[in-house]
Amino acid sequence: MKMTFNFGSFLSARSVMGDTMHELGQKHSNVWALTADTGGALVAFKKDFPDRFIDVGVAEQNCAGIAAGLALEGNIPFIAGMIPFMTMRACEQNRTAICYQDLPVRFIGTGGGLTSGGGSTHNAMEDIAIMKSLVNMTVLSIGDPNMVGDIMILSMDYPHPLYIRLAQGKKDRMLYEPGTFTYKIGMGITARDGKDATIIAHGEMVYVALEAATALATEGINVRVIDMYSIKPLDKDLLYKAVKETDNIVVLEDHLMDGGLASTIADAFVDGNIYPKNFKRLGIPQVYAGFGSGEEQRAKYGYDDVATIAAVKKMLA
Amino acid sequence: MADPKEVKRLQELAFEMRKKLINLCGSYDGIVHIGGDLSMTDLLIGLYHHGMKVDPTDIKAPTRDRFLLSKGHGAVCMYIAMCLRGYFDYDEIVRTYGKLDSAYGMHPCKIQLPGVEASTGSLGQGLAIAVGLAFSARQKKESHRVFCMMGDGETCEGEVWEAANTAGSYKLGNLIGIVDRNKQLMTSLDGDYMHLEPYADKWRAFNWDVVELDGHDIGQIVDALDNLPPVTNEKPTVLIASTIKGKGVSFMERNVGWHAGALSNEDTQKALADIEADFVKVRSVAQ
Repeated sequence: MKMTFNFGSFLSARSVMGDTMHELGQKHSNVWALTADTGGALVAFKKDFPDRFIDVGVAEQNCAGIAAGLALEGNIPFIAGMIPFMTMRACEQNRTAICYQDLPVRFIGTGGGLTSGGGSTHNAMEDIAIMKSLVNMTVLSIGDPNMVGDIMILSMDYPHPLYIRLAQGKKDRMLYEPGTFTYKIGMGITARDGKDATIIAHGEMVYVALEAATALATEGINVRVIDMYSIKPLDKDLLYKAVKETDNIVVLEDHLMDGGLASTIADAFVDGNIYPKNFKRLGIPQVYAGFGSGEEQRAKYGYDDVATIAAVKKMLA
Repeated sequence: MADPKEVKRLQELAFEMRKKLINLCGSYDGIVHIGGDLSMTDLLIGLYHHGMKVDPTDIKAPTRDRFLLSKGHGAVCMYIAMCLRGYFDYDEIVRTYGKLDSAYGMHPCKIQLPGVEASTGSLGQGLAIAVGLAFSARQKKESHRVFCMMGDGETCEGEVWEAANTAGSYKLGNLIGIVDRNKQLMTSLDGDYMHLEPYADKWRAFNWDVVELDGHDIGQIVDALDNLPPVTNEKPTVLIASTIKGKGVSFMERNVGWHAGALSNEDTQKALADIEADFVKVRSVAQ
């Protein structure tokens, strides 16, 4: 398995999204781009396909409803926006106008977890819990910026609603060399192999998990890292394999610990009657966080690389 | 002016439809949203039987006009208007309405009932969906219209005005809103708590063309539908139809208690007699 951990390299997931939107717009005459006044990355699409670009102003509910209408006519609408408003303000439209009718609308949300920098109005710590509860909705959380483009292209053949969660989207770590993996909805990636414990993460936290794993390796602790970008549906086979082979599971996520990937995984333990010896979840506690960068807040609330290293060591002690 | 023969035909259909609504309400073991069904009966007859290009034998024809029932609780009214047009079988509706695995329920579901354009029932959501349909039609250079029937009560929802704002801004001339302006909400009259007036001005302020009409005058409904602007119009159009909730049934008209309800055998007979009397009145005015 070929991997590149190019810790120094950044790319903007938003610009990848914008480029891919343009590419899809060219290839598919039924692709539309919608935004509620946050379409900065869609400049090229807007320029070349103005009759398939809709900016509704600050009106997320309406945006979701219009997307439903477009999809009913055989179009594939992509909504780009800020996660809290896309997933909460428009929650009922997402459910009733889009998911109830099982329409192929794509949501691409930025500002996952505490990365928005805007404080609790703009933080996105409930979105996975909300979106995964909607029947017919698929929930992905992507860290590697190039993966965003690959998944968007892949989604053209996917006939159901799809939510893609990004971090801030301005400066994202490249985790994998483009072309290394064939992504698939319902599959996770073993980003690093190991036998002593497994850290399961999604989005930008995969990079944090890899850093923790690298540090642990210097102490002779061999940690597996799973990039569980497909949260719903979950790659249960990969999860159960990690339980059987490493017996120690840490989940690391920039989301409320309740209702996110950790909860999804705990459900899978119960459903499969397969339990690890040790299970620890690291993420946002029940708090409305304040200001500061995502990195600062992760440290403050105990779900950064330091906390992850400590959690793994404690399990193995 | 509307052709008197056509008006007469539609009046008879509306009479037939009201009887079918009352009979269904009388036979169903549960509540039917009969008040708002009776207020939009004439409008739905005008749409499905005169104004809209639709073909019950080809429900997916790309050229068909699209109809969205934003006031989804009036589903049964739409089912019956469509059944009179040849889409569905009335006896099947009566036999299965609201029962397990029926295609016919309180709010329309497009997955269970092909022929329905969209699943609706959560109030205030229909217009935004209709805006999406209108955008798509315009972009594909299709010539059909998109009609969206709203209740006036549901236009308290903010999403309606978000969608109205978008439709006005993007000059969606192929979009026709219809408001069943019965001046009642579920539990109050317009003006008791919420004041919806100046209603037409609100739509004008969002850059819509407004046509005000009597929603129980078939002649006016036909005229309004016959004189819609071309789909290339610079503004969307809203027909604000003044109506009476419970229209035609003396004990239901303007009665807040009859947003929805069930009918005993005795009240079913009384309602049918009222509707008959009301129809006789309509016919005598026409002659």
